[in-house]
Amino acid sequence: MRARVFLMLSAVLVLATLAIDLLLIPSLAVTESEKLLIQFSPIFYWHIPVAWIALFAFLCVFIASIAYLVKRKPFWDIVATTSAELGVVFTTLFLLTGSIWAKYAWGTWWEWDARLTSSLVLWIIYVAYFLVRAYISSLEQRARFAAVFGILGFLDVPIVILTLFVSRQMHPGDAAFHLDKWQQMTALTVGVLAFTALYFALLFFVIHLREDASELARLKQSVEEKENE
Amino acid sequence: MSDTGYIVAAFAVVWAGLLIYVFVLMQHERALRKEIAALKEGMKKA
Amino acid sequence: MHDGEEMKFWNSVAAIAWKDILSELRSREIITSVLVFGLLVLLVFNLVFDLSSDLMLIAAPGILWVAFAFSGVLALNRAFIPEKEEHCLEGLMGCPVGREAIYAGKALGSLFFMLLVEAVMLPVFALFFDINVFRPEFLVMTVLATVGFVAVGTIFSALAVNTRAREMVLPILFFPVVSPIIIAAVKASALSLAGQSWSDMTIWLAITIAFDIIYLTVPFLVFPFIVEE
Repeated sequence: MRARVFLMLSAVLVLATLAIDLLLIPSLAVTESEKLLIQFSPIFYWHIPVAWIALFAFLCVFIASIAYLVKRKPFWDIVATTSAELGVVFTTLFLLTGSIWAKYAWGTWWEWDARLTSSLVLWIIYVAYFLVRAYISSLEQRARFAAVFGILGFLDVPIVILTLFVSRQMHPGDAAFHLDKWQQMTALTVGVLAFTALYFALLFFVIHLREDASELARLKQSVEEKENE
Repeated sequence: MSDTGYIVAAFAVVWAGLLIYVFVLMQHERALRKEIAALKEGMKKA
Repeated sequence: MHDGEEMKFWNSVAAIAWKDILSELRSREIITSVLVFGLLVLLVFNLVFDLSSDLMLIAAPGILWVAFAFSGVLALNRAFIPEKEEHCLEGLMGCPVGREAIYAGKALGSLFFMLLVEAVMLPVFALFFDINVFRPEFLVMTVLATVGFVAVGTIFSALAVNTRAREMVLPILFFPVVSPIIIAAVKASALSLAGQSWSDMTIWLAITIAFDIIYLTVPFLVFPFIVEE
C-alpha cells in the first residue's frame, strides 16, 4: 500500500537526519559555555522540528474542525481526530526532549516559565479533545462538539509561539532564528523537512486506517442485516 | 563525556516514541485488513 | 433594518441574563453555595498556610484566584444545567433570538454572579489575610480577568452539559484554556499588591484585554454549533 511505503520512506529520512546531526553538530561547540547552548547540541535539531510539527498538527485540527462545521463531511472529522492524535504524540515528544535538555543544561527537569507552562497546557488541551470525544455517545454530536473544541483549543497555540519571543527566560526562545553556522542551518532545515514528511505520511496512514475501520464497521453492519433477514 | 548520555537519552526517547507509535499503528492496520478479508470471505460464502 | 436586528439582539441578551438573575435572586441557590464554597477555600488556605506577611503578599493573588476559579466553576455549571433538565433551552431557541444571544445572555448572567461573589469574598479575604486588596489596579484586573473567565467558561459549560459526565468534565475542559487569563490576573495582582503603579502593569493589562476580546469573539461565533438541533 502506498501509504505504508511513504511512511517507511519518511522514517528512513528521519533516521538520515539523525546521522547528519551526529556528524555535523558535536564538533561545533568550542568553548565550555557554548556546549551549554542548545544550538550546539544535536538535541536541538530534533526538538525544534518535533515542536513545529506538533503546532502544525494543531493548526490542521483547527482547519479541519472549521471545515467539518461548514461541510459536515465525516472525512474532515477523521482528519481532525488524526491530527489531534499526532499533535499529542509530537507534543509529548517535544516536552520530553525539552525536559531532558533542561536537566542537562540548567540542572532541573522542569521550570514553570511562560513557554513550558503554555506548552504543557497545550498538551492538556488536546488530551481533553479526546476526552470530549469519549464522553459523547452520539456520533454526529461527537464530531460537532470535537470540532468546536478543536477551534477553541487552538487559541493556546499563538500563545505558545508568542512566549518564544517575549522575555528572557530559561527556555532559549528564538535561538532557531539566529543560527550562524551553515552546519546548524542545514541540520535544522533537513530536520524540519524530514519530520514534516513524517507528519504527512502518518496523517495519510492513519486516515487510511480510520477509513478501513469505518469500512469494517459498515461490512459488519450489512452482515448483521443479512443475518436478520 | 557526561553530556553524551543526555543526548543519547533524548534521541532514544524520540526514536522509541515514534517507533512504538508507528509499530502499534501497523499492527492495527494488519488486524483490520485480516478482519475485513475474513468478513468478505464470509459474505461470499453466504 | 440592521439597527432593528441589533436592538432585538441586545434585548434578547438582556432578557436572558435578567431571567437568570431574577430566578437566582428569588431562590438564591447558586449564590449561597458558590459563596460558601469560596469562603471555605479561603478558610482552608488560611488554616493550612502559616506564612509571614511578606510571603503572604506573594501568595495572596494565587490563593484568591484559586478560590474564584473553583467557586466560579460551580456558578458556570449552573448556567446550563437547569436549562437542560427542564428543557428550557429548547424554549429559548424557539423564540426568535439568534443562538449567539443565548451565549451572550448566559455569559452576562454568570458574570453578574461571579462579580457579586467576588465582591463579598474580597473584603473577607482582606480580613482573613490582613492585606489591602482595594487598590484600583487590583480591582480592575480582577474584573477584566473575570470577564475572560466567564466568556470561556460559558461556552465550555454549554459543551460539558451535553456530555455523559456533564458538569464534572467542565473543569478539565476549560481550565487549560482559561489558564493564561488566570496567570495574567495573578501576576498583575501581585504587582499591584507590591505597590507597583499602572505603568508597570500595562503589559498585563493589555494581555488581559486582548484575551478578553478573543475569548469573547471566538466562543460567540462558535456557540451556535453547540446548541443546534
